[in-house]
Amino acid sequence: MIIPRTIRQFKERIDHKAGPHGELFEPYDGDEVVSLDCETTSLNVKEGEILSIGAVKIRGQKVVTSERLDIKLKPPKSLTEDSIKIHKIRAADLMDGVEMDEALEQVLAFVGNRPVLGYYVNYDIRMLDKFLRPRYGFGLPGKAIELSHVYHDIIKWRSIGGNADLRFDTISRNLDIPMLERHTALGDAITVALMYVRLKYGETPNI
Amino acid sequence: MPSSFNMTNMPFSLLTEAEQVLLRNSLDIGYYQRGETVLAAGDVPEGVYVILKGVVSENDADGGEVDHVFVHYTAEDYFGGWSAIKGRAIHNFLAEEETICHILPTKTLLDLCAENSRFADYFQQSLSAKTEIRSKLGGDQDMAEFMLAQIKDGVIREPLIVEQGSSIDAATRLMREKRADCMLVKRGNRYGMVTGTDLLDAIVIDGFPLETDVAEIASYRLITTASGDYLFNALITMTQQHIERVVVMDDQQLTGVVELTDVLSYFSSHSHVIGLRIERADTIDALRDAAAGLSDLVRAVVGQGVKARFVMDLIAAMNGRIIAKLFDLIIPPDMQPHVCLVVMGSEGRGEQIMKTDQDNGLIFRDGLIWPDMHKTLRQFSDTLISFGFPECPGNIMVSNPDWVKSIGDWTQQLSDWSRDCDGTAQMNLAIAVDAHPVAGNQALFKTSRNWFMRHLQSNKVFFAHFAKVALEFDTPLSFFGNLKEKGQLDVKKGGIFPIVHGIRTLALEYRVLETNTFKRIEALVELGQIKEKHGRELCEALALFIQVRLGQQVIRAEQDGIDQTPNTIDLALLDKMERDMLRDALHIVKGFKKHLALRYHLAG
Repeated sequence: MIIPRTIRQFKERIDHKAGPHGELFEPYDGDEVVSLDCETTSLNVKEGEILSIGAVKIRGQKVVTSERLDIKLKPPKSLTEDSIKIHKIRAADLMDGVEMDEALEQVLAFVGNRPVLGYYVNYDIRMLDKFLRPRYGFGLPGKAIELSHVYHDIIKWRSIGGNADLRFDTISRNLDIPMLERHTALGDAITVALMYVRLKYGETPNI
Repeated sequence: MPSSFNMTNMPFSLLTEAEQVLLRNSLDIGYYQRGETVLAAGDVPEGVYVILKGVVSENDADGGEVDHVFVHYTAEDYFGGWSAIKGRAIHNFLAEEETICHILPTKTLLDLCAENSRFADYFQQSLSAKTEIRSKLGGDQDMAEFMLAQIKDGVIREPLIVEQGSSIDAATRLMREKRADCMLVKRGNRYGMVTGTDLLDAIVIDGFPLETDVAEIASYRLITTASGDYLFNALITMTQQHIERVVVMDDQQLTGVVELTDVLSYFSSHSHVIGLRIERADTIDALRDAAAGLSDLVRAVVGQGVKARFVMDLIAAMNGRIIAKLFDLIIPPDMQPHVCLVVMGSEGRGEQIMKTDQDNGLIFRDGLIWPDMHKTLRQFSDTLISFGFPECPGNIMVSNPDWVKSIGDWTQQLSDWSRDCDGTAQMNLAIAVDAHPVAGNQALFKTSRNWFMRHLQSNKVFFAHFAKVALEFDTPLSFFGNLKEKGQLDVKKGGIFPIVHGIRTLALEYRVLETNTFKRIEALVELGQIKEKHGRELCEALALFIQVRLGQQVIRAEQDGIDQTPNTIDLALLDKMERDMLRDALHIVKGFKKHLALRYHLAG
């Protein structure tokens, strides 16, 4: 049974508030957001394995690329020919990757209780949670910000009655944000971060 | 990462691999809305901003008033480097469009500068290094040179001396003949000076008869100086005494006369003096010495910021004089009326600045018998080489019998080339049609040229072939209209040649007799073959190419003595505005090439 994330987070907060990771469950009062992206072997959370994780902080109007996370993991067994074609990540590229335990620790330390931004962000969060829960007993504690929702909230007034096109490429084109490195976790995270900053601080895009 | 950052651009390409990693790891990305101030004057800058996308203008801040925009920065340009090093922004930086910038934090910038001195030089170049280069070439140096200049051979004129007893009539005629405007009269062992004005006054005002002895009217109170004294002392003396010449005496011996005009022209960049020295040289050695002063002259004139086009005129005149003088010294006087020396190529167009290869040829009267011709001409070429005019790599020199022809053969050769469409023939022809007579009997040259021009009119196919060569090299502009090359650019192929050759073709077609490209353009505008606006643009573009090239040639010549790559423009040495101007000029070239392609049906 799928339990809604908010309920789960509520329960986890009660369970772990006094635990060693208690500070993760304090309400977040800073102005930073973490843009996060994972490259995985499958789009199905149950089957998927994480290949790499990229994340950058957003502080106000700035994408702080000097503070970032760029983790490559050891090649999982499920790395197949099909996914290689999409990500262009071969087993050889992951030879110097880290173990999952270490990766998760870095992610938790980097993200903390900050809101997590992404495109189709729930997928990335569920993917991470899948590995976090067995080890820590909780998932990512922060709020999730879905880029396509932010985008939709802003442009919906311009497309009444029509369906807004929320595809990644379309959004990036409409916002006129250069796609820095498509299909690398960090590249996507930076692109999403730029789109978010553009939406939050820029003029409403003309569509 | 972000690996989107372009490391191949200057100055980042100067960094080592490890330094590039450090730079990548320190970069942030900033987002700025249209109209947002990225950095305000007086602020502490975060670092250097490298534009990923957008446009930023740098302006003079003054309480929100209408500001003066200094420069616009676009993708891949960087700004704020100087402000970051200084710790405070000097100007306002305003996002003219939505802008995304990479930000290299000040701390990292300083670390990189500390580690990599070339990188540091580049960042500081915008102010210190550039001003240093400028001041090295600048006018101050000339002033200093003038202040230290001594009274030496260059400015001392050989005096015209007459013995006591010469009549006013004879003296005047002698002065006229020697083109002098003063003379010294020897009375016993004293000298007196007589100027043109003295002679005039004596006859008209005092009513002396023409037979009067000039010794009667000479002034014996001579103002003297010694060679080795500072030139400015002579100038001061002249000013104090209200006179125009001083006599140079060394150990009671008369050495010569220094004239005010010579001193003044020495002051104004020496050009007149070199001209005089060339004119007065009566041996090859004296001429060689005079020619050696030419490079200094170029440097001084360029340093004073004189426009390249006028420098070219001046140098063409000087080179022409040197060559003509050498012709007088080497070619036997009885042969001089029967031959005509022409200079060709850039020399012929009068577009040479730094001494480059000699391109010259000789046209002689049909049936001339001159057994020593080739030996003498070989000597002529060798002497020019010793003057610092290098040998022509294509061997287009009078020492090569192929370029020494009778009128008939010369003309025949030109028309053969115009019928032949291969590369060598076209190139030779391009060089030959820029020929300009410098010495000897000019009628020989004109006869040949006029015949050839008439002959070409009946050959329409020729022009299409000839024009095509102008389109041979690509204009180095990218699809989006930016400079294609990042590091170095061959300005001759990219900019100068298409204009020069295209204009040459049009000039031939409309029988314009000028050889200088600027004058050809003006003549074509006059004839209505080029629109006035286009003509002006082409002149400006060409002048810019030449100016930029000259600027870098002077620097290179100073560093290495010899300029190995005379046509290379190092884009990194240009500032933003110069680069923009260069880009605009290349757009003009592009447009002109399109015009030629349509004009001569060369499309496709």
